[in-house]
Amino acid sequence: MTVGGGPVVEEEKAEGFTFPPDVTQLGIISAIIAIVIVIIPGLPAVVKAVGVIFALLWGTDSVRKTSKYGLGTGVPSIGVLAMGYGILGALVGIAFAGILNVSIVQPGVLIGVIAMAIVGLISGVLSNNEKIIGMKIPGLERGMMELGMAGTLAMVLQFSIVAGSLNFDLVIEKAVSNGLIAVMFVLSMMAMFHPYNACLGPDERRPRTLMVSIEISGLLCIILGIFVAATAGSTWGVAGLVDGISLLIFGLIVWIVFFVKFIKTAMREAHSTVGTGLIRTIE
Amino acid sequence: MDPILLIVVCVLAGGVLASLGVHLLPVGGAPAAMATATGVATGTVMLMLGAAMCGLFTAASVATYTSNILLVSLSGAVGSWLMMGVTMLLANLLYVFGVGVVPVSGRVDVDPITRESQKEYKTPQCDGHGVPNVSYISGMMGALLGGFGGALMYFALLEYANFEPTMAGVAAMGIFVANAIIAAYNIGGTIEGFQDPKFKRLPKALLTCGIISLLSGVLVSVVANMGGLIG
Repeated sequence: MTVGGGPVVEEEKAEGFTFPPDVTQLGIISAIIAIVIVIIPGLPAVVKAVGVIFALLWGTDSVRKTSKYGLGTGVPSIGVLAMGYGILGALVGIAFAGILNVSIVQPGVLIGVIAMAIVGLISGVLSNNEKIIGMKIPGLERGMMELGMAGTLAMVLQFSIVAGSLNFDLVIEKAVSNGLIAVMFVLSMMAMFHPYNACLGPDERRPRTLMVSIEISGLLCIILGIFVAATAGSTWGVAGLVDGISLLIFGLIVWIVFFVKFIKTAMREAHSTVGTGLIRTIE
Repeated sequence: MDPILLIVVCVLAGGVLASLGVHLLPVGGAPAAMATATGVATGTVMLMLGAAMCGLFTAASVATYTSNILLVSLSGAVGSWLMMGVTMLLANLLYVFGVGVVPVSGRVDVDPITRESQKEYKTPQCDGHGVPNVSYISGMMGALLGGFGGALMYFALLEYANFEPTMAGVAAMGIFVANAIIAAYNIGGTIEGFQDPKFKRLPKALLTCGIISLLSGVLVSVVANMGGLIG
């Protein structure tokens, strides 16, 4: 399965929504933003949600870059792989969160990110090596490494949103043992693989694909916001009632803005659109 | 035995069994959705994840009653066995009575188990149809091994690493999924079962999955150690 067989020159339309940074720049920017947010667990949930969006955006971009060459198993597989590594990395991260603390900064979680970067790199090297699996995909090593890191960052940030801290026992109690981790797992991997899976084709355009990722992150924020507000022990403070409601509103705004933007962009860039009559067609 | 060593050995065995299980499943992918290839019409990840989830459910229920490693692992194997059996049977019913094709292997001329001739039932230009006997048996073996591996990992995380049941389940699923996907990349998406020539690529996937599971096992035992769950 090879996708993207259309015109080689990727024409960027001047009007409409675009992402100025290229793949490398977006990766570096997202990684720095997500890492800065993740090591300070005292931040409000909305700020952490921005980190989640950037981490998932980075993951989506890596999925897009890697699966452009055709994986043979479909695009979803690499998104699921990313979150499989993400769960493992997040558990390692919160296990190490207690050490190396400097007042409110907890850089210990980054050990999980580094561990998953190493595992991802090794799996990428083994998968791409001619003598072993031999997938022959340019940049698979880097792609898998980035996916492991992005998945871990997204997962730790969501733990941090729900539990309000990175304490191992608290995270296990509030985010893992009640089964919320399954919702996080599914929605995060949707945010990573669904955009490229849904948008792939000869006229796939990067900014349009990345919009879908932000939209799904908005949905994730809505669900986490409802959960945080419903289980809040206090009104103010991290993971309190106000934190949950503000996250819910933030998620709603992100979702509506990017959903409308995506539909409008898709309508504008399509050759023609035909309504079925079942739902009102927007012009 | 040292619990850390036990965790690493169980996770390693589970990952390698998952990889072996994937190679035995009849995965048809997109061509099978049009009944132009042998296998169930979905990707490796979906099939193996579905089978492993069913296995984890049965294993988790049995693990609440007993702490016998063999009993829990075998119940996991039975769970995924049932799931794969039902999936392949219903896929076959759809192919035979819905599409109107005969389940036939595209890679071998004679079924290696039942000795039935395959070639004359195959539509020209197609790569087999449905789930023939040999693929069905191969798929059952794959689900048995995969489910056993997944449940073994779950049991190790639950009993030796003292994870909570949900945490053990999700962590086992994460490691299982990573191994199943690496194995799926090795077979390039579709495979018929052990009669497929692609099955000969198995050692490469076993090596890769062995290394990945070993690393995952070490990381999981580090989590258990740092989180204060073991000794």
